[in-house]
Amino acid sequence: MTPQGTVTLTIDGKEVAVPGGTLIIRAAERLGIEIPRFCDHPFLEPVGACRQCYVEVEGQRKLFTSCTTAVAPDMVVRTQYTSDVVRDAQEANLEFLLLNHPLDCPVCDRGGECPLQDQALAFGPGESRYTEPKRVYAKPIPLSPLVKLDRERCVLCARCTRFCDEISGDRFIELFARGAGERVSISGGEDFRSPFSGNTVQICPVGALTSSTYRFVARPFDLSSADSVCGHCSAGCNVKVDVRGGEIVRVLARDNLEVNDAWLCDKGRYAFRHPDLPSRVTTPLIRDRGLEPASFGEVLGTIATWCRDARVAFLAGGRLADEDAYALSKLARTVVGTNDLDHRRAFLGGKAEELAAAAPLATTYRDVERAKVILVAGLDAEQEVPILHLRIRKAARRGARVFVIHPRTTRLHDVAEHALCRPEHQTYVLEQIHDADGDGDGFVDRVAAALRGAGEDGVVLAGERLAEHPLAADVALSVAQRYGARFGYVTRRANDRGALRAGVHPALLPGGRRVDDADRRAEVESVWGSLTAAERGRSGREILEACAAGEIDLLFLAGVDPLRDLPDAGLVRRALGNVRFKVVQGLELGGLEPYADAFLPAAAWAEREGTVTDWEGRPQEIRPVRSAAGVSRPDWEIFAVLAAAMGGDLGFETIEELRAEAGRLLEPRHASVRTDAWTGTGRPQLLGDLTLFTYPLLVDEGRLSDGADDLKAALAEEPFVEVHPEDAEKRGVLDGGRVRVRTDLGQAEVPVRVTPDVAPGSVFVPFNQRDLAANTLLARGFVEPATIEPVPEPAEAGAAASEGAA
Amino acid sequence: MKPSGGPPTNRIITANWGNPDVLPIDGYRGAGGYEGLRAALGTSSAEVIETVKASGLRGRGGAGFPTGVKWSFVPQDTGKPTYAVANFDESEPGTFNNRELVEREPHQFLEGLAIAAYGVASHEAYIYCRGEFLHQGRVLERAIAEAYDQGVFGPSVLDSGWALDVVLHRGAGAYICGEETALLSSLEGYRGQPRLRPPFPAVEGLFGCPTLINNVETLCNLPHILRNGPEWFAGIGREKSPGTKIFSVSGKVERPGNYEVPLGTPLRVLLEEHAGGVLDGRRLKAWTPGGSSTPFLTDEHLDLPLDFESIAEAGSLLGTGAIIVLDETDCIVEATRRLLAFYAHESCGKCTPCREGTWWVERVLARIEAGYGRPEDLPLLDDLGQNILFRAFCALADGAVSPIQSSLRFFRDEYGQHVEGHRCPFTGRGPGMATHGEPVTESDLSEVAG
Repeated sequence: MTPQGTVTLTIDGKEVAVPGGTLIIRAAERLGIEIPRFCDHPFLEPVGACRQCYVEVEGQRKLFTSCTTAVAPDMVVRTQYTSDVVRDAQEANLEFLLLNHPLDCPVCDRGGECPLQDQALAFGPGESRYTEPKRVYAKPIPLSPLVKLDRERCVLCARCTRFCDEISGDRFIELFARGAGERVSISGGEDFRSPFSGNTVQICPVGALTSSTYRFVARPFDLSSADSVCGHCSAGCNVKVDVRGGEIVRVLARDNLEVNDAWLCDKGRYAFRHPDLPSRVTTPLIRDRGLEPASFGEVLGTIATWCRDARVAFLAGGRLADEDAYALSKLARTVVGTNDLDHRRAFLGGKAEELAAAAPLATTYRDVERAKVILVAGLDAEQEVPILHLRIRKAARRGARVFVIHPRTTRLHDVAEHALCRPEHQTYVLEQIHDADGDGDGFVDRVAAALRGAGEDGVVLAGERLAEHPLAADVALSVAQRYGARFGYVTRRANDRGALRAGVHPALLPGGRRVDDADRRAEVESVWGSLTAAERGRSGREILEACAAGEIDLLFLAGVDPLRDLPDAGLVRRALGNVRFKVVQGLELGGLEPYADAFLPAAAWAEREGTVTDWEGRPQEIRPVRSAAGVSRPDWEIFAVLAAAMGGDLGFETIEELRAEAGRLLEPRHASVRTDAWTGTGRPQLLGDLTLFTYPLLVDEGRLSDGADDLKAALAEEPFVEVHPEDAEKRGVLDGGRVRVRTDLGQAEVPVRVTPDVAPGSVFVPFNQRDLAANTLLARGFVEPATIEPVPEPAEAGAAASEGAA
Repeated sequence: MKPSGGPPTNRIITANWGNPDVLPIDGYRGAGGYEGLRAALGTSSAEVIETVKASGLRGRGGAGFPTGVKWSFVPQDTGKPTYAVANFDESEPGTFNNRELVEREPHQFLEGLAIAAYGVASHEAYIYCRGEFLHQGRVLERAIAEAYDQGVFGPSVLDSGWALDVVLHRGAGAYICGEETALLSSLEGYRGQPRLRPPFPAVEGLFGCPTLINNVETLCNLPHILRNGPEWFAGIGREKSPGTKIFSVSGKVERPGNYEVPLGTPLRVLLEEHAGGVLDGRRLKAWTPGGSSTPFLTDEHLDLPLDFESIAEAGSLLGTGAIIVLDETDCIVEATRRLLAFYAHESCGKCTPCREGTWWVERVLARIEAGYGRPEDLPLLDDLGQNILFRAFCALADGAVSPIQSSLRFFRDEYGQHVEGHRCPFTGRGPGMATHGEPVTESDLSEVAG
């Protein structure tokens, strides 16, 4: 369809050369000529519905819609700027569009940033010739708790329905009826339950779709805005944060073709209230009788005293920015003198992790988009890194073959071939792909043959959950290396990759340098000075175990709530109970309030400068949209001041100084990571009769989603457990009934979904759901042997009981 | 009902309409049926296309495009299946010849479809049957089953070794689905809305595969062309418009019905010799040559030969050959309003000028007819017609403009009388002066959707 080569044409007398197949509207954009449009969207297929973008093409009798017409050599195009016919046609079309459009701009959320309003102002006559009554609809229609539809304002451009069809692939909304009665609607009784629904609001060219969080909240000229990066997962979506009167009121996607195209998931868009909640603590606290407010100087001085001759360990969350992670890594190693620091929850990515720490941007969104074959393992992209999910779908639309190895069917089901297998089998399947000759016709051979055929156009994406098995991520890496495919190690939390790069890790110094490799250590020492601790430190889990065993005196929790975020809630409680000093640095105390001995208030992302690193390893800047609440400060500054209080010096006082220093250690390195030493894992051992596995769904009870009530109403799931029909039948479990899930650690009664979309032998419970804290069931990690049994009817109505044994 | 079809002379595709025996397949074959298909199978697909080209047959669905040329646009050896689709979504107001062709001689149509499928080397043919055609759909179901039973369809058509499957698909009742890309969308299970061209259906049609789409009447001509040869066909009618055409005559005539006459027959002959003249001997006021989408002509055009070229010269279109006759007692404003009501109802909603434009025009016409017209309404209607014509996504809206512009062209004074007299001069309908039912008030015109 796309002719090759460059085509030269003239638009409004200016010559422009564009690739063959370019649409006239895009070619005009290159010349800075904006042709008005409503239905056209650069990321959606041309549709030619609104008819606003007419242009005249010399030698043609009829006008052409520039959004559907490809350029041709020597074409002479005239837009509204040089053609009266075009201008008349556009005005006439605008008159049609406004016939049934209500004159409610003064109360419409879109007013002030509305393409229809702008064009009516630019082109429209002051008065309408339409004197008949307008079309009237009941309004607003709630499509979901998040999205409301005003059908009177709708110009039926179908951007929203096309987004659901072409981009998110979940056709919850569709056009119904016809003629002047055509309207956007949902199927009876269904909600617009797409985790991408907010994009339809953003691309709506009028105020027909509005977000419940922003309805009647602000006027565009009331807002102050800053460009930032979403902090909810590792996707790295570019956002614009809008603040009104100091309060965050809206988050929009910013276009970035390298990262999120023009999209943002609903969590990124609607879970923005967290920094403004009453639970936010913006002053330092120190435990006296209770937790009492104190000055930074006082609290840091006290912490410095506690640290003297103490055994200190650090746990960090995914919220820390790159600068924070770097400062923390340096603080722990140079001032405190420990390698007991970690940002990871349970997944130890081995060589794959080392590679990710050393070499940023080895595999990017663009690589995914252009791939011919994509193998996804241990990742439910839609729920964990939603924008990566959209990119995989985009690749599939362009003809990529997609394979998924996962214990549960993902929403790539319509474009990918799934191998459902128990969590502990994923490694085994990968190993078989590695060893396959590609001649057979089973799944393993199909993947192997496809990857071999694709070579560099193949991408292997290994989710961090794969690393539940100590070798799995490395096996995935070996698969990529064997077939010459690109490899991406996909961590879930926002800045996991930045923490990994900066060395918030027991074994890796900045840039993925192994602490136990003298040469690499020396490279770091040339910047940091000599390091006392040369052995790898304790991992996150080992730190908690050491705390529980009384081997740590001070546990520093930076941006992490281990009670919510980590598996094995019992171990966390024992750890917190047995360590002498607990220092919490973050936005709030949450469940740590009874434990904390000191609290250090950190600034939220919207209140500070910094960079964050997405799953690709791409650092991107965040910018403050308002000043920091209370006396809260960026994490890195607190670390620097704490170092000083301890008599040390991190060596930087400004973020520029910090970046300059970090830059010397974080140049991309060639990491000679080979996994050849890997000798195979053999047939997998089954953990037990049934394997319970869990991961957080997109909308859960995570701290950063606090206050996002509309989002939760729209997308949060009621507690459930998924069981395969074979397993259900053996145990007399019926779909829709209740089961008791039992592990060594605890038990819970949960409504059951019997579904073939979970692998036989596997039981899925979402992590961190309302009324069900899955971590009370987990001892080892996010995978646990379990049993299930039906709970006899009648079960008590109400929330599922969850009893932790610890 | 008395079989229509006109006097037996020169009848080709309606020749058997008086003969109920051709309804079942045995009777049809007894009358020489499926011999055209056999003749086609005895030659190559390419030769069949050449034969159809040589006959000069032009599409009967409205556009009049040369059929053989259309077939030659369907690429071969694409590695994809090729589909043949019969457009039996006959929905144009005033048009009812496909329906009777299928009712009276379904196998003639099926034979034509099989020939077309063979011509483009397709093994799968679909019939898109208008949703309201319940009876005709049943007739086709029976006929298709008979054809399979006798080996006319199936793995080896008439023992030729060439396989053909025929699938009947019923629409859900939308005029737009007669538009070929909307038809394909509907056939694929999507909303019946037109698609962008290019790609054209010949190249990327049904399920993205090369697809031929022909009208029922077009297909019905094929068995006869294959049996009697292209020269025979080309000798009937006019040089550029060869063959016969079924004209569906309706409205104010003594004998409404389908009449097959050679192309080029003047309206006067069709009207007076076949349809019995204007009802009750009244004067002809206006008529459409090809259904509601073609501009009105008047009694000035009584001697116009009914062929593609002559009608186009007179400023209208032969279309589907649906002649709707209005006599001197009919109000042109009301007639136009009714047609616009049809288009506003059938507009698929996809594009702005059609969706909003037809809705607006209908309301203005309703207001004029009810006696609330304003002098500025006439230039407004001129403008709206211009603003819709050639601006919409597909030709549906262009069809809607035909009655607006042509009625204003020939009967502008009548519009003026409505506006100046504040009532319809024919019905007396106007503010406070209804002749039918209650007096009209302006608020009666304020219907709301939703």
